[in-house]
Amino acid sequence: MSNRRKLASVPSRLSFPSVDVSRRGFLRGSAVLGGVSLLAACGGNDSGSSSSISTAKVDPEVAGGLNDIFGPGGKEGGAGVTLSAGMLLAITGQGSFFGKVMGNGAKLAAAQIKVADGINYDLHIADHKSGDVPTALTATRQLVTQDQIKILQTSYGAPSEAIVPLIGQNKLLSFNGGGSSPGQVGKPFLWQTRMIFGDDPCPGGLAWIAREFPDAKKLAIVGTQENGVAGASTIAPEAWKSLTGGEVVANEQHDVGATDFSSIVARIKSAAPDAILTFSFGDDAGYLVKQLREADVDVPVMGIEFTEQAAKVAGASYDTYNFCTDFYDPKNPNPWNKIFVDGHNDMFGEDPEYYGANYYEEVFFVWELARRVLADGGDPTDTTALQEALVANPTFKSLYGGDASATGEVTFNPDDHTISKPMGVFKVVGGQPEKVADIVKPEAGADPATALV
Amino acid sequence: MDLSLLAQLTVSGIVVGSSYALLGVSFGVIYATTKIFHLAHAVAYAAAAYAAVWAANTLGLPLAVALLVGLAAGALFGLLIEVVFYRPMRKRNATLLTIFLVSLGISVAFPNLIQIVFGPDNQTLPRPDNPTYSLGAVTVSRHDVIAVLVSWVLIAAVATFVSRTRFGRSITAMRTNPTMAEAVGIDSKRVYTVVFALGSLLVAVAALLFTTKGVATPTMGLQPTLIGFIAAFLGGIGSQWGAALGGLALGLLSSWSALYLQVDYGPVVVFGAMFLVLLVRPQGLLGKAAA
Repeated sequence: MSNRRKLASVPSRLSFPSVDVSRRGFLRGSAVLGGVSLLAACGGNDSGSSSSISTAKVDPEVAGGLNDIFGPGGKEGGAGVTLSAGMLLAITGQGSFFGKVMGNGAKLAAAQIKVADGINYDLHIADHKSGDVPTALTATRQLVTQDQIKILQTSYGAPSEAIVPLIGQNKLLSFNGGGSSPGQVGKPFLWQTRMIFGDDPCPGGLAWIAREFPDAKKLAIVGTQENGVAGASTIAPEAWKSLTGGEVVANEQHDVGATDFSSIVARIKSAAPDAILTFSFGDDAGYLVKQLREADVDVPVMGIEFTEQAAKVAGASYDTYNFCTDFYDPKNPNPWNKIFVDGHNDMFGEDPEYYGANYYEEVFFVWELARRVLADGGDPTDTTALQEALVANPTFKSLYGGDASATGEVTFNPDDHTISKPMGVFKVVGGQPEKVADIVKPEAGADPATALV
Repeated sequence: MDLSLLAQLTVSGIVVGSSYALLGVSFGVIYATTKIFHLAHAVAYAAAAYAAVWAANTLGLPLAVALLVGLAAGALFGLLIEVVFYRPMRKRNATLLTIFLVSLGISVAFPNLIQIVFGPDNQTLPRPDNPTYSLGAVTVSRHDVIAVLVSWVLIAAVATFVSRTRFGRSITAMRTNPTMAEAVGIDSKRVYTVVFALGSLLVAVAALLFTTKGVATPTMGLQPTLIGFIAAFLGGIGSQWGAALGGLALGLLSSWSALYLQVDYGPVVVFGAMFLVLLVRPQGLLGKAAA
C-alpha cells in the first residue's frame, strides 16, 4: 500500500507567477501556516505520541478467558514489566482507515493484556502518512530515540522496506501484518504476520477459477508495482499455464490510489480474457471491479484482498468479485476470537476486520514471547531473547482457524520470517465475503492445483 | 492498430477529459483573475462532497436536494476562504507567496478536519441506476454521458458569462489590468467574490459528479485541484476555452497513450506533452503571450 506520491511533486515543476517576498510577509505567512499545520497535525490523532491505554471499556471477565487461553497473569504473565512499543501506521492520508483499524487492534490487545494482569504494553503510534518513505524513516527514528521502543508494529510495503536497516540496527522486534512484501522477507528482527501479499494465495485462487470455469483459457492480470509484483510477473502466469494450458493475454499495471481505470478496462476488453486476476488493493480494487462491470466485462474476477471500504466503492458490482487471501472471519467461533470481537465492539462499537485482527494478534505474540522468556528466567525486555524464544518455538495461538473449543494456530518460518496461515477463496455475497474453498501455498515446484484443498 | 480499442479509448478520454476541463476552468477562473495559486480549491471540492453525503445520509434528504446542498457548500467554502483568509491578507499587502503558503496550509489542514468529523472511512451517496450504452465495441455509462454534458454546458455558460456580460468584462478587466480596472470604478472586492464563488461552484459540480459514482474521502480534493491547475496552465491562463481544451487534451492524451504503452506510463506521456507545449508556448495552448 502506498500513497499517491506522484502528484505531490507536480506543482514544483511548473512556473509560478513572480512574487515579491518581504521578510515581514514571509514571517506573517509562516505564522498562519504554522497555525493551520498544527491543525493538520491534530488530524493524525495519535501521530508520534504515546497512546495511553484505557482499560475502562474492557470487560473484567475478559481476564479469566484470556488467562485460560494464555496462562495466568501476575509474575508469570509479566505483570510489572513494561515494554515500550511503537506502531508505524497510516494515520493521515489516503490510507488513514487502515491506520485507524490497525491502531485499534493493538490498543485493544494492550488493554486486555493489562486487565489479564500481563505486561504493560506501552504503545506509541507514529504516522507514515499513508506510505511516505522519508516520513516513515523520521518517525521510526523518533520512536527509537524519543520513545525508546523495543517492539515495532509496522505497516505498508515501501515504508517497511525502508526501515529495515533501522529495525536491524536497533534490534527492534518488529511485525508487519499489513503490507508484507518480498523485500521484507528474511530481514533481521522483522517478521511478517500475513502471507506474502498476493504472491502466496494467487496459485490457489487461480486453481479455483480453473476448477469453476473449466473453459477459461485466457487470463488478464492487473496489478501495481507496490505489492504482488512477483505474483503478476511470474507466479500467476506460470500457474495459469500449468492449470489450464492457457495464456496471459494482458498484464496491466496502474498507479496505487488510481480511481480512473477506463484505459485499463479498455485494454482488457480488447484482449477479451476469460478471467481476470487482480493484485490491486485498497479502494483501487473496488474502482477496478466497478468500472469493469460498467463496461460490460463480465468474466470472473479474482482479487487478493477484501475491504469494506472497497466494497463501498464498488457497490453492488462487488457481488461479482472473488478473492483469495488469509482472510480474517469475525464470525469464527474460536474462543479467543470471540473475546476479540466482543472486546472490539465494547471498545470501538464495531466488529473488527482483517487488519485490526493482525495487529491485535501481534501484541499477543509479544506477550506470549515475554511469558516464555520469563519462564526461562530471562529478561523480557531484551528483544534478542524475545526473538530467540520465537525461533525456538515459532507456533502461536491465533484468531485464524480453530473452532468453538480451541484457538487456531499460526507458525512462523524461522528461516525467512514469513508466516503460515489458513487461506481461502471467498465470494462476495450481499457485500460480505463467504468462503468457498480452502487453499494453501503450494510447495516450490509443486503442481499449483495442489493449492486447492 | 486495434480500431475498437482506439474508439473505446477515445470515448474514455472524452469522459475523463471533460471532467478535467471542468476542473481546469474552475481553477483558471480564480487564478487568472486573482493571481492566487488557490491550492485550497481542494477544500471546496471535498466540502461539496461531504456536505452532500451529510445531507443525504444524516439528514435523509433526497439525492437531488443533497446535491444542491453540496453545491452550496462548495461555493460557500470557496467564498469563505477568500473572505476569511485571502481578503484580509491582501488588505495588509501580503505577497502572493504568503497567500499561497496559507492556501497550502488550509489544503493540508482541511482533510484532517474532515477526518476528525467524519472519520477516515469512505463515504458514499445513494447511487442512481447507471445503465451502460453500447455502440459496437464501445460502451459508455449513463453517468458518464451526463457528466460530459454537464461539464461542457457549464464550461460554455462560464465562457459566455465572462465574454458576453458586463460583469464578465469586469472580470476580464481585473485580470488584464487591475489598477486600471479599479481606476474606472470596478469593485475588485466584488469581482473577487464572484470568481471565488463561481470557481468553487464549478469544482463542487466536479466533486459531486465524482462522488455519485465513487466515494468521498478526506483527501479527495488535492488531486483534482492539481489536475485543474495543470489543465489551466496547459490551455492558457485567462482563457476559459483554453483551460477546457487543456483538460480535454490531458484526458485524451492519457487515454490514447494506452494504445501503445502500459497505463501507468500515462502520466509520463501527459506531463511530457505538457512540458513540450509549455516550452514552445509558455502562455499555453490558447493563452495570449505577454506583450
